[in-house]
Amino acid sequence: MPEDLNWAVGGEAGDGIDSTGKIFAQALSRAGRHVFTSKDFASRIRGGYTAYKVRTSVDRVESVVDRLDILIALTQRTVDENLDELHDDSIIIYDGERSMMSDFETPGETIGLDVPLKRLAEDAGGAIMRNIVALGAACAVSGFNIEYLDESLEKRFGGKGEAIVDNNKAAARAGAEYVEEEYDFSAPYDLETTDNDYVLLNGGEAIGMGALAAGCRFYAGYPITPATDVMEYLKGRIEDYGGIVVQAEDELSAVNMTLGGARAGARAMTATSGPGIDLMTETFGLVATSETPLVICNVMRSGPSTGMPTKQEQGDLNQMLYGGHGEIPRFVLAPTNIAECFHKAVEAFNLAEKYQLPVYLTSDLSLAVTEQTFEPEEFDMEAVEIDRGKVVDEETIGEWQNEKGQFKPHAITDDGISPRSFPGTDGGAHMSTGLEHDELGRRTEDTDMRIEQVDKRDRKVDTAREREDWGYREFGDAEADTLILSWGSNEGAMREAIGMLAEDDIDVRLISVPYIFPRPDLTDEVEAAEETIVIECNSTGQFADLIEHDTLSRVQRINKYSGVRFKADELAEEVKAALGEPTEVEA
Amino acid sequence: MSAFNAIDADREVDREEYTPGIEPQATWCPGCGDFSVLKALKGAMSELGKDPEEILLVTGIGCSGKLNSYFDSYGFHTLHGRALPVARAAKLANPELEVVAAGGDGDGYGIGGNHFTHTARENHDITYIVFNNEIFGLTKGQTSPTSPKGHKSKTQPHGSAKDPVRPLSMSLTAGSSYVARTAAVNPNQAQEILVEAIQHDGFSHIDFLTQCPTWNKDAKQYVPYIDIQQNEDYEFDISNRQEAAEVIYDTELALHDGEVLTGRYYQQEGRLSYTQEKQEIGEMPEEPLAERYHDDDYEWERCYDMLDAHR
Ligand SMILES: Cc1ncc(C[n+]2csc(CCOP(=O)(O)OP(=O)(O)O)c2C)c(N)n1
Ligand code: SF4
Ligand SMILES: [Mg+2]
Repeated sequence: MPEDLNWAVGGEAGDGIDSTGKIFAQALSRAGRHVFTSKDFASRIRGGYTAYKVRTSVDRVESVVDRLDILIALTQRTVDENLDELHDDSIIIYDGERSMMSDFETPGETIGLDVPLKRLAEDAGGAIMRNIVALGAACAVSGFNIEYLDESLEKRFGGKGEAIVDNNKAAARAGAEYVEEEYDFSAPYDLETTDNDYVLLNGGEAIGMGALAAGCRFYAGYPITPATDVMEYLKGRIEDYGGIVVQAEDELSAVNMTLGGARAGARAMTATSGPGIDLMTETFGLVATSETPLVICNVMRSGPSTGMPTKQEQGDLNQMLYGGHGEIPRFVLAPTNIAECFHKAVEAFNLAEKYQLPVYLTSDLSLAVTEQTFEPEEFDMEAVEIDRGKVVDEETIGEWQNEKGQFKPHAITDDGISPRSFPGTDGGAHMSTGLEHDELGRRTEDTDMRIEQVDKRDRKVDTAREREDWGYREFGDAEADTLILSWGSNEGAMREAIGMLAEDDIDVRLISVPYIFPRPDLTDEVEAAEETIVIECNSTGQFADLIEHDTLSRVQRINKYSGVRFKADELAEEVKAALGEPTEVEA
Repeated sequence: MSAFNAIDADREVDREEYTPGIEPQATWCPGCGDFSVLKALKGAMSELGKDPEEILLVTGIGCSGKLNSYFDSYGFHTLHGRALPVARAAKLANPELEVVAAGGDGDGYGIGGNHFTHTARENHDITYIVFNNEIFGLTKGQTSPTSPKGHKSKTQPHGSAKDPVRPLSMSLTAGSSYVARTAAVNPNQAQEILVEAIQHDGFSHIDFLTQCPTWNKDAKQYVPYIDIQQNEDYEFDISNRQEAAEVIYDTELALHDGEVLTGRYYQQEGRLSYTQEKQEIGEMPEEPLAERYHDDDYEWERCYDMLDAHR
């Protein structure tokens, strides 16, 4: 029996799939089990297929695999969509009394458990609890202590009163008992529990939490999948810390409002996805020339244009690196897992304020919608440091005035960093503009000053290269001949693929890069390897291009742009193919 | 007392304090209406005793956008059409600032039109001055959203085929709580209106007729003008939206027949600003959030309990 269990609930949009899946994931987390979730959507048609998948193990899990052990299928399509992932011992829980499932036949050798979900729910107090009955049935099948489900139900429904919680608990028990009584069947699984304390969260929440911990108190945004989670996380929480969230009329306004908030002295952020990035790019140059700290979170989705809004892609790397006319100093951070989303959010704010420029904090659909368990220590609030950079006050302002007492917001300095004064500060009044300007912020076309200001802005990047750590994360065998390079969210699947490759005696070294600009120089690492393979979710290999440019070496590329993230087993096979090793299909 | 030491300093401020200590000399063309906006703004701010360092003057792009280059205060020169989002956000972050936004007719009614509508709707407590010269000045005389139908320019040599926008009607419909029009040729009225607009609690919009002698030669110099508050033909209640709408309608038609009507059109008292509305529903702190973080002694919250929700 494999160490991990792969579980899913699927049905139509509107079937409450998401919250059902989350309740189960929460229960597993409370039972001290690790969880990694994923979501399937087909968002085009209302009522189309959607599923919430949970992979759980007592060990940490970092990715999804192509295997389903227990499936709660509310519709025929749920089964059809997952035929490839079902195996002979898979168990399918369904309600044969639901009209659309009355002709349902379990495919192949899979085991079907027909449970009257709706009827049992009605008996327990209401048809609405149908999915909870199914969760109870799933507990019985997986040998999972139903009391953990109780805890999760209390958490979910506690606000609605005791009666509702009790009804839900009863519904879950009805499902479990039905399976135990009707099917002479001993649970093939026995989900072990531990005393470990875990937290369960997704990338959007981790970014929101990181932003709050970093002191972000102003957020302006315009809703867009899959970035809206960040806004929704902040809303209702930021107010407790004296901050505000505003919904703007469009992304042009959202980014300019963020800029206005930052100019007035707040730590400010906006979040969006591809189509919004296009609009916000207009303002990027102004942010950089006016030397305003600003964090833009880009939760990438499949493009171009409206593309596939609920699908995975890492297609915006070039846009973030090069978007905007003229030459714009900027930083681009790409956290590689959910916990890193928290840490990189904190880092993004400090970098933005220390170097007074725009910072992209980029995640993607996979990170945004995946819920994963972590040790709470991985989100160490105590360790969060806030550095607001060179902000002047009454005492220090004098150092930055000219002989006429005028403040110099763009003073030429050795490290390129100038002082900042917020409106309302005596002696700090100044102009700031998107036009080229002198040290006082007044427009100029003087050639010497132009060169000095450009150099000064570029120098900030050099200073940051020296002062900050732009490292990478490393896994696998450091001495291996094969080097795999990854950026952003592919890390988890590739980490797991390392283990699979090792079983076939293929050792690899994985370097996972969270910094796109500035980024680590990987020339030595690439030269030390016999083969370098860059994996990324786009069709052209945008990161691979950067690596070739940096290292002057050719690399191999594994690209995926179907809209679905990499899976560990699939990556292992692709790496084998790239190395000319026999793959499962050929073997 | 504010953590920002220039705020509410309560002192006499001479209008010359708003003149930058050095260059640049205003580079507007001789006879340009924009000079009058600068003059009226200095007069109004000095009348109100506003310290230059508690003022944030945010502008768009155009000849009009140069306003804050010649006015000494905190100034931010944004992008074409984007002054309003920057201005209103700064006000949200620090409601104690005196925030004024300004730009051209192209800037505010064209490329930034969406922001104009929504800023008015949200009723932010800021003042917005639109330099309306019925032309694109900076880019040398192309047709603007307020250019009258038939107006000939290099981009519309056969005359504009479009009816002009109705800026005051737009403003009223969108939700501005103070709507006025003044003209560069009427400095006293201009200063009075600016003072009122700045004092008004809520979004104040002033359509400021500024002649462009360089590129809009066939346009009137906005003389003679009629002050509707001084003229018996226009007796109406400026707190009545319907009555205001009618006079505004007449005013917009009259302008293109050569009759220049100016004055206060609408003032809604007592309507909450966006900040106040957000405070009412608990979505906005009483303490200016910018101020909180300006204070050195302020202890950053660690948000320790945030993780509990994820257990
Ligand atoms: C995005 C963008 N498009 C075009 C321009 C060029 N441009 C600068 S000012 C302007 C029009 C100015 O007209 P108006 O807003 O009426 O200001 P005025 O100069 O008349 O005061 C244009 C088209 C620009 N700066 N940015
Ligand atoms: S071009 Fe027209 S609007 Fe611009 S400065 Fe000259 S007169 Fe004034
Ligand atoms: Mg104009």
